[in-house]
Amino acid sequence: MSDFSLMGVSGRAVIFGAALLLLALALPPFFGSYHHYLASLALINVIMAIGLNILTGNAGQISLCNSSFMAIGAYATTYLSVKLGLSYWLALPAAGVISAISGFLLGFPALRLRGFYLAVVTLGFLEVSQILIEQLPGITGGVRGISSPRPALLGHTLSSDLSFYYVILAITLATLWCAYSLLRSPTGRAFEAIRSSEAAAQTLAVPLAQTKLAAFVISAFFAGIGGGLFASLVGFIDPLEFGVWTSVRHVVFIVVGGLGSITGSVLGALVLTVLPEVLRAFKEYQEFVFGGLLLVVLIVLPHGLVSLGPKIRARLSGGGATKSVIAAQRSAAE
Amino acid sequence: MSLFSIDNMSVIFGGLRAVSNVSLALGEGEIHGVIGPNGAGKTSLINAVSGLVPIAGGGIHLDGKPLHTLPPHRRAAAGIGRTFQHAEIFPDQTVIANVMTGGFAHRQSSLLQDFLGTPGKAAAERQARREAEQMLDAFGLLSFCDALAGDLPFGTLKKIDLARALVGRPRVLMLDEPTSGMNDTEAAEVIAACRRIAGEMRVTLLIIEHNMRVIMGLANIIHVLDHGEKIADGTPEEVQRNPLVIEAYLGHGSAAHA
Repeated sequence: MSDFSLMGVSGRAVIFGAALLLLALALPPFFGSYHHYLASLALINVIMAIGLNILTGNAGQISLCNSSFMAIGAYATTYLSVKLGLSYWLALPAAGVISAISGFLLGFPALRLRGFYLAVVTLGFLEVSQILIEQLPGITGGVRGISSPRPALLGHTLSSDLSFYYVILAITLATLWCAYSLLRSPTGRAFEAIRSSEAAAQTLAVPLAQTKLAAFVISAFFAGIGGGLFASLVGFIDPLEFGVWTSVRHVVFIVVGGLGSITGSVLGALVLTVLPEVLRAFKEYQEFVFGGLLLVVLIVLPHGLVSLGPKIRARLSGGGATKSVIAAQRSAAE
Repeated sequence: MSLFSIDNMSVIFGGLRAVSNVSLALGEGEIHGVIGPNGAGKTSLINAVSGLVPIAGGGIHLDGKPLHTLPPHRRAAAGIGRTFQHAEIFPDQTVIANVMTGGFAHRQSSLLQDFLGTPGKAAAERQARREAEQMLDAFGLLSFCDALAGDLPFGTLKKIDLARALVGRPRVLMLDEPTSGMNDTEAAEVIAACRRIAGEMRVTLLIIEHNMRVIMGLANIIHVLDHGEKIADGTPEEVQRNPLVIEAYLGHGSAAHA
């Protein structure tokens, strides 16, 4: 057992996280610009996955339009900073808020719908947002796209991928902090409650409508921030970046990583962003190997990559013992 | 003046009158039992009080204020707690998280504080955890704190359900078959807990129970439902002697044996 804990996270996890953070800070200067870019992309995907996982994995609301909120964040950040001349460091949080407001609006139909019906509504939202991007070229650049410059910090433009990587790392850490705090709070427990049993949740004074709306708002906020960072990282955005395939990728991140788990969001996004690059070695078999690995993970670890650690630990400690005890207790109770 | 009352309440599902013009009144700290054959409308009665099913007529009052106009979560916040026959525990949460959810009505941190992880939120969280731990300790469940609820046996889940409801500090607590699926030791613990809850905590209890020995020894007043209607009420002795009650039970009993 661990001797200390931080925000309910065990001491061992804190040490492990601190070690990872040290590596994330110290290693990049020894790598090239391509790796900085890839690492930045992976961290943005971590932010996207954390936001979506809170909505879907914790609060139980299916969404296939996470990329639309990413788009709202990306275009809002670009518009506010380029066209309105707002500082990037104000435009980015403002874009997060604009995205959160959009999430609030999408949340209303979700109050009446669930499961497949909700999924279809979110697909509709994605279609509408795609059409809006194309039909508002004055703001978005339309189908031809719009360029989104790197921000400046203390008078220096963060033109190198390394410097922008550190900005994205800092914002990813802030996202992790907020997500961990949220899931260990009355709000986070309310999310879990409405996913598990709406009836029980309500009889414990959890308001169904407000709680669902809060989940949509928070998820959209994270996606908006991720989108704003994405725009500046890649430097140019067009509607194709935010299509349904991007949303599906985000869903794959959280399913492969582990639904309802922050660690799962991080693992899923990091592994699935980096893996395709590693698999370039397989040339024309790249997609085939990638798909095969996904299937293997989901068959071996149905609860996602996050369940790998506990599974290994159970194996090492001569596992299965606790399970059989529980099974015996269960049959005795019946 | 009663603390809590159900007045002439009806619940209709399609064409079926699941609850028909039922009235009952409970004073503070009293224990009332609701009995009746299967399908008598007992669970529908408390579902209607919780607001999980709509009422077709009548009303529900707590402290003279109408509850039936409020949505379910506001009724809970007003002081109506309950447990479920099948212990609607959140299976992929730890036991402590389940019980802490019960304190939602008394949360000390706002959504923004929860999101930002302010020191105030951290303090509120520690306080909420302490309260939940005390409640689990009272049920002898402290060692299960960090266990995943879904891994625990049914009898334990029923006790967790009760602990979770109590953390919400209800004024009226409705228990749906609190001892079902329990062995004799567990049932005895729950019966003792009910006496403490009503006696020391002054929580008014409305208990649905199939086990006659349990409810007759526990309740001050018994209400008997049959086909959605209240056919009798009174002390356990009075109810046991009531010919209507005997007929309802024997009639159904012999039909079941046939």
